[in-house]
Amino acid sequence: MAYQVCIDIGGTFTDCLVSNSKGEIAIFKSPTTPGEFEKGFIDVLHVAAEGYGLTPADFMKQVDLIVHGSTVSTNALVERKTVKVGLILTEGHQDILVLREGPRKGAFQWRLDYPDPYVPRHLTRTVGGRIDARGRELVALSLDDIGKAAADFRALGVEAVAVGLLWSVVNPAHELAVRDLLERELPGIPITLSHEINPMPREYKRIIAAAIDASINPIVRTYIEKLKTALDDERFGGELLLANCVGGMMPLADMIRKPIYSVMSGPTLAPMAALALSDEPDIIVGDMGGTTFDVSALRDHQIIVTPDSMIHDDSLGIPKVDVRSVGAGGGSIAFVDEGGLLRVGPRSAGARPGPACYGKGGTEPTVTDANVVLGIVDPDYFLGGKMQLRRDLAEAAVGSIAARLGVSLHEAAYAIYTTSNHNMVAAIEEITVREGINPRDSFFVCGGGATAIHIAEMADILSLKRYMIPRFMAGLSAFGGLISDIRNEESAVFLTSSATFDAAGAADTLRRLRRTGDGFLAEAGVAAENRQFEFAFLGRYEYQSFEIEVPFEAEGGMLTDDDLPGLVEAFHRMHERIYSIRADNDVVEFTAWKLRAIGKRSGQDIWQRNTLADQAGDVAPKAKRGVYRQESGRVDELPVYEMGDLGAGVRLAGPCLVEAETFTAYLKDRHHGEIDRYGNLVVAVA
Amino acid sequence: MDAINTSDLDIADRRVDPFLMSVLKSRFEAIVREMTLVVMRASRSAVIKNARDFSCAILTFDHKLVSVEDALPIHVMSMDMATRPLTELFDDIARGDIFLNNCPYTGGTHHADLIMAMPVFHEGEPLFWVVALSHHADTGAPVPSTYLPFAKNIFEEGLHFPCVRVAQDYREKQDILRIGTMRNRVPDMWLGDVRAQIGACRTGERRIGELFARYGRDTIMGFVEDWFDYGARCAKAAIAKLPAGSYTYETRHDPVPGVAEEGIPVRVTIHVDPEKGEIVVDARDNIDNVAGGLNLSENTATGSCRIGVFNNLDESVPHNEGAKSQIKVLLREGSVVGKPKYPVGTSVATTNVNDRLMIAGNCVFAEMGAPHGQAESGNHLPAGVGVISGHDPFKNGKPYVNQVFVGYAGGGARHGFDGWLTYCGPANAGLIQLDSVEVDESMYPIVIERRGVLPGSQGFGEFEGAPAMAGVFYPLDHDMTIVYAADGTSFPPRGVLGGGDGKESESIKLAGSERVVLPAFAEETIEEGAKIAFTACGGGGYGDPLKRDPRRVAATVNRGWLSREAAETVYKVALVEGGELGVLVVDEARTRTLRAA
Repeated sequence: MAYQVCIDIGGTFTDCLVSNSKGEIAIFKSPTTPGEFEKGFIDVLHVAAEGYGLTPADFMKQVDLIVHGSTVSTNALVERKTVKVGLILTEGHQDILVLREGPRKGAFQWRLDYPDPYVPRHLTRTVGGRIDARGRELVALSLDDIGKAAADFRALGVEAVAVGLLWSVVNPAHELAVRDLLERELPGIPITLSHEINPMPREYKRIIAAAIDASINPIVRTYIEKLKTALDDERFGGELLLANCVGGMMPLADMIRKPIYSVMSGPTLAPMAALALSDEPDIIVGDMGGTTFDVSALRDHQIIVTPDSMIHDDSLGIPKVDVRSVGAGGGSIAFVDEGGLLRVGPRSAGARPGPACYGKGGTEPTVTDANVVLGIVDPDYFLGGKMQLRRDLAEAAVGSIAARLGVSLHEAAYAIYTTSNHNMVAAIEEITVREGINPRDSFFVCGGGATAIHIAEMADILSLKRYMIPRFMAGLSAFGGLISDIRNEESAVFLTSSATFDAAGAADTLRRLRRTGDGFLAEAGVAAENRQFEFAFLGRYEYQSFEIEVPFEAEGGMLTDDDLPGLVEAFHRMHERIYSIRADNDVVEFTAWKLRAIGKRSGQDIWQRNTLADQAGDVAPKAKRGVYRQESGRVDELPVYEMGDLGAGVRLAGPCLVEAETFTAYLKDRHHGEIDRYGNLVVAVA
Repeated sequence: MDAINTSDLDIADRRVDPFLMSVLKSRFEAIVREMTLVVMRASRSAVIKNARDFSCAILTFDHKLVSVEDALPIHVMSMDMATRPLTELFDDIARGDIFLNNCPYTGGTHHADLIMAMPVFHEGEPLFWVVALSHHADTGAPVPSTYLPFAKNIFEEGLHFPCVRVAQDYREKQDILRIGTMRNRVPDMWLGDVRAQIGACRTGERRIGELFARYGRDTIMGFVEDWFDYGARCAKAAIAKLPAGSYTYETRHDPVPGVAEEGIPVRVTIHVDPEKGEIVVDARDNIDNVAGGLNLSENTATGSCRIGVFNNLDESVPHNEGAKSQIKVLLREGSVVGKPKYPVGTSVATTNVNDRLMIAGNCVFAEMGAPHGQAESGNHLPAGVGVISGHDPFKNGKPYVNQVFVGYAGGGARHGFDGWLTYCGPANAGLIQLDSVEVDESMYPIVIERRGVLPGSQGFGEFEGAPAMAGVFYPLDHDMTIVYAADGTSFPPRGVLGGGDGKESESIKLAGSERVVLPAFAEETIEEGAKIAFTACGGGGYGDPLKRDPRRVAATVNRGWLSREAAETVYKVALVEGGELGVLVVDEARTRTLRAA
């Protein structure tokens, strides 16, 4: 038997999804081991081996692929435990990372200090030298300044260097010269050049990406090396691929070259999973965990890439799959504010102490406590009964809210439940309205452990008609890893416009991108027939200051003057789609060109071979449980079904509960579920 | 968790279930957000799209503010004034109507802000207004700008629509739109932006209709009353924490040649009644209307008086009718800060003197002593945000004209917090994006030689104002014209309670070795080879510098915003090398000695 494995490291558990050569998938979990993630990584492989009744050595021999969504760079950024970075900027522009493009704040939000720059001033140096927008050298590069910066960095103990000079994207000579000199002066210190890591003509975004990349470079490199050593010790002879944040996998060498692409890569696998699980054009993916609700979307069955991801007070700089996070999870804390209004989150009880019902010392009421009081979550069957919850503690916590609001315990629990649902709905609307997706016509795919408790009411609020509770909902991201492509994005700046179109220059840019992309896929071992290339450009109307990404067809990556009308029309259309208007008489400016290199892997569709047997007739519930329902105003006895007992074609009518070891699903009135041939529960709302 | 006195909650007066409060609050917020996105997505002009110079709101049909989200405060805090005349002037308001109002004499803010309002009916009963306001790029004024400090009266301004029905029965009235497009320099852009607003109103109307269908009239209208009660309770609770009394503050707008040679004093008195949880803002003691465009409209004067108060209350107080009702505003007709006397000009009513009014409102609270109030902040329209124009040598001499945001003024300090660096004047409240150097340089034939923080330019204090932003830029291979109105050149932001002043604005032409100081309000040509250097005010400081936490002083020095010497002379804080390489820490012993002396 040959196995393919995806390992996704979460805050509490390391998930391992394994597919055998028949496409049968199994999920294994082991505690995450912060500080030495590779330990939990190997632990969970051993748990999997045991699950198949094999010795670790025998199991590892049969594993031919491991894909991995690492959190090491995300954690380093979130906890601000990155390495000491020296930053080199253009003279006169020492404050690029201070000013950003004006950090965001609320209109009446004044109780805050201005955020510090990502690289502190004492590690920032400027060098004389200036290129203009047309690539001409206005001021020669000062080698003296670079020498001084190198000496300072050595004295300060800098561990990585980022270089961000103005207009390096149209003429990289100065950045390249800086690297030449630094490599001699600071041997062994990794150097990130802004025009290489994020070639876009917008200095803050480009340079913050370079600074973040440099700051995690040694961390990612060390982690990958440790992982390789640990896998070598296990005699793993297969291939290891790492998830990136543009919705695919890349080989280790590429990740070491561009470690920033590993940032927040885990959550981007959820939309990739949805892409495989459903053929619907517009899909919303929601993943509710302990502290956050992550939401993403697919438009026209395509992932959505955003240039606006944030980490603390800074942009990530590079484009990544759009996944938004709000502080709405099972651990979100409910409180009543000064004016008497109930609020839920964003403060969370986290994993420690956790919700009151965990019995680990938490006393504040959380969403999970409300779900226990409502009866949706069975305290005796949490994680399949592996963790006992305390109903009495949940009731005491929710009771404080009930007293404050002057309502019954059940009414208070429902108020928490529905407020939390509305917080998540607001996050869903934020992404769908912005992307021009109508939730009423969309399909919703649930991910994470808690989403299925809340989806039914959220669907009703959004007038959403259909949703899916995947069999492996709790490991949706890991499933996404198992089935995703090898993928990389390359871009290059070449400024031209529809008024003075330089087809030769654009064609040359595309040729270079294509060469790089081909090289990437070849190195990743993708056969020529399995390689796909998608082209796009960043464009804007003249005097507009924001670019939009416009995909276009380019046969073999060639462009001629004849292609201009097509490019311009593609721009007008995309502009109309995003902004509802087009300006046919305006000049279109092209700023950057992008190539998406996609490699299809053998075996990534194998899960589709494993289908469930049909099951006819009614299925008996395993139990009945009292659930407080706001619509009836009382506790109603609802049937409870076990997911594992349900074969393909089985139909369920809400109101009812469906339980699996890793989740509980609550179907409301008029919600009709059916098990599809892969074992997913697909629900339609009448 | 915050301690809450249950008896304050007025449970007995509640009209809807508590869970519906949170639910409907978030539903109304979502509707305004969606309207906002519609305007954002569908508008054409850069001021709307990039500078976000637009706002949406929902009011009840009797003009009570229900919900605003992501709005510019100056647009919405007195939106009721723009809809109120509609019910006075029309007796046939019907479903599918949309009205246009940009006239300061019928409740508008200033001529460039087109306010679009649509009634929302339920079963024949008018219950709400949905409103979308956008700042338009052109209004057909005699000169190509929407800020005309020298326009004495409305006949020298752009076109006014004093409450005009622009759509009926869901159909646009082409004759009205023709009036707008005919008198406009960019008619396509104007029409596109108007339609974006119409789209937002119709979205809002449809969504409120869906709420009625789901929850019913009584629940929705009951919620609105509860929501106002909640707002009033929050505002009362916040005001109850303030010391009772009357407080006055005066600031002064710079002199404007030919309009106000001595500058324009702006004076505000507040009467705080913590027991009633009420504040009265009295702006009647101000000079008469000036012969120029710097007069406020009643709308902006009222709004700005409230904004000063809200800037001093907790941000969680909802900005709805209930909260607003706890803040009363007194204005005088014929005053520069008040109700303008027809037909005086008000084309600059949203910035300059208006900024000064908000500054006075922010600062008057400092008269209560610490920890209240804040210091004066920097002002708007320095040369760093000038309108540049010329003929682009790289585009065969094609003309260009636009406002750039290369550098703008910093915020004032408040107790506990230093000023906000990317502030851009009180009306903008730190919401305006700063231009990318590379984007500006690729769009216009200019080079931005330097742009950044000017160390030591902040108002010192226990809490510091933000430092000034300064820069140098120049035209490439052509002559460039720049228009700006740099208030804060003569009267820079003052500190409060012992805090120091922020640095003044500067506009300087560099030609060879020559430095020519330019006037504060000007239209200047920067010839090929010459450069413009600007400084946009720093913010004022709050409190005695000698009380500043020495660790904050060390952080400011390490950030490069203060010299080590100034730390010793101004703050009496000595620093030494220590800990992390290259980072200074407080020399505790020497600091004690310095501060004791």
